[in-house]
Amino acid sequence: MKKLYLLLIAALLLVGILAGCVAENSGSSDSEGEAEAGGSEGESAGGEEGLDIAVVPKLVGIPYFNASESGANEAGEDLEGVNVNYTGPTQADASAQVKVIEDLISKNVDVIAVAPNDPASVEPVLKKAKEDGIHVMDWDTPADKELVDISVKQVDDEEFGRHMAQKLVEAMGTEEGEIAILTGGLSAANLNLWIEAAQKEFDENYPGIEIVSEKIPTDEKQQVAYQKTLDLLKSYPDLKGVLAVSTPAPLGAAQAVQEEGLQDEVSVVGSALPTDSAPFLEDGSLDTAVLWDPGKLGYLTVALGKMLAEGEMPEDGQEIEGVGEITVKEDGKTVIMGPPADFTKENAADFDF
Amino acid sequence: MKLSKESILGLIALGTFFILALIAPGFLSSNNITSMMFQLPEFGLIALAMMVVIVTGGIDLSITYIAALSGVGAALMLTNGYGILPAIIVAILFALACGAFNGFVISKIGVSPILVTLGTMVLFEGIILAITKGNSISGFSDGYSLIGNGYYLGLVPLSIVIFVLFAIITAVLLSKTSWGRSVYMYGSNETATLFSGVKNSRVLMKVYLYASLLAAISAIIMTSRYNSVKVDLGSSYLLQSVAAAVLGGTNIHGGYGKVIGTVYAVMIFQFIRNGLNLLGFHSSLVDVVIGAILILVLAMNFFSDKFKKVAETRKAEKAA
Repeated sequence: MKKLYLLLIAALLLVGILAGCVAENSGSSDSEGEAEAGGSEGESAGGEEGLDIAVVPKLVGIPYFNASESGANEAGEDLEGVNVNYTGPTQADASAQVKVIEDLISKNVDVIAVAPNDPASVEPVLKKAKEDGIHVMDWDTPADKELVDISVKQVDDEEFGRHMAQKLVEAMGTEEGEIAILTGGLSAANLNLWIEAAQKEFDENYPGIEIVSEKIPTDEKQQVAYQKTLDLLKSYPDLKGVLAVSTPAPLGAAQAVQEEGLQDEVSVVGSALPTDSAPFLEDGSLDTAVLWDPGKLGYLTVALGKMLAEGEMPEDGQEIEGVGEITVKEDGKTVIMGPPADFTKENAADFDF
Repeated sequence: MKLSKESILGLIALGTFFILALIAPGFLSSNNITSMMFQLPEFGLIALAMMVVIVTGGIDLSITYIAALSGVGAALMLTNGYGILPAIIVAILFALACGAFNGFVISKIGVSPILVTLGTMVLFEGIILAITKGNSISGFSDGYSLIGNGYYLGLVPLSIVIFVLFAIITAVLLSKTSWGRSVYMYGSNETATLFSGVKNSRVLMKVYLYASLLAAISAIIMTSRYNSVKVDLGSSYLLQSVAAAVLGGTNIHGGYGKVIGTVYAVMIFQFIRNGLNLLGFHSSLVDVVIGAILILVLAMNFFSDKFKKVAETRKAEKAA
């Protein structure tokens, strides 16, 4: 008898699926959905007056994204009528990030600015946000260009990668020798662009530089970068330089160099925060940290989010209060915050991020 | 009025739902309820897979990478112009191959599950990285995206229907079949099970195969929902799934565990995560709250078990 019931249920399900009854939209919630999708005119879920701007980092709880959080919150205090909601997953997992964005859509915020872990995976959810009348932006890492209204970038990727390559050659003091490249995750689009640009710079201008292996992933973890650098130093005793992108990687690399006492033999250059870098810059285990101010990036994201919600678009050369002069690319969407900043032994102490 | 562990958990789930409905703005909106239904299945399936393994006293640390690898299988098929059905079949085959490997080393060679799956976790991750070079594979057909984003009969998300279906199948398999009974027996006492004529290695093999099948279903839903797959797809579910299984009353040493308990636990996690997000809590706080609830329920279970034991010994003494 039970088996019969089960069979019946299974048959029903199959019939339903085969009959093509899986629709794009649910029949029942459609009308309500339209009523709710007022976007900026509708009451925000918080019940507070003003604009709700949600800023979603790749993950919360690492120094870089903590710094952009304080910047974003600062902008929320400075600007009139803006509530900033800075929230993201606790691990850099694309599926966890999508859930955060879905919950923000339920909250009915006015603007969502996301730094996608995997640009492809946020596509469906960003589409949904747009359908609900929410303004969509990306920051820190580009999402699908078609979907976003504004894309906030810290630096020009090409310029940044080439700049790091030059800094590494400068630190090595020679245009010959073996170097290795460390990265965060192999699929992080911005890191890959920097590495490509750096490789171009080496190919074009420093033919004597030899890259010993494929880029080495360090999972955005200092510990992993440290371990992999130790392995590198063992496998390639003649290694002269390490180029490390992603913020924890240079620290791990420098830590390994410091431990082995190779400060004078191996140069390390990478993208890291000045406060974290200070102890390694001190003894030359890390030669230069190249980055930008993530706090300013958070600030700029919120400032542009407010402009967007109010129906304005940024212009090339515009002066943004608290950030400086921005560049807008030809597409009218991509905003570049400014040139990269170098942090060295001399100036690292001047920064608080 | 004696309530089982699972019923108490069900009440906790209900309570959580009502409390959040009262305090979290927009928690009860139709938008949010459907969004929760879309969010729950992928994690729920992984948690069920983990539960089945934990019932045998083992653990499968490679489960999320099995899911990711199986997702890669589906993605490769879809991006090379094959249809939806072949993609689903390949996803399941990829996962079963992983499960068979785990099962073989654990059941036939007899290495401890935690060590084997720790190893295969890195192995599968390596295989995915070798295939994808760490990039994401994306851009599937609209038909495929209906699996994770579509509505069944225009009423409820298809993915939740799939989840409920597999929850029922799992429950029936565990409680109504001889394999299911052997799984519980093995988890309680493998030696006694062996001597009572059960082929332990066959039972275990099927456990790891079944877990990987559930991981594949979860992977199909995830790849369809996110329209992409990447090496760390769902990686944050790994320890959460252990937590959900244990919160659901599954004994970490094996021998006890019910599907409905795990389902309640998954629901509790889902409500809390979503509700606290709506309240604008910091994500790290959400983890703290979930951790606290887990410890609380485990402590409650521990003391209620202890209390039962004391009562039983007293009864025994009186009888003597």
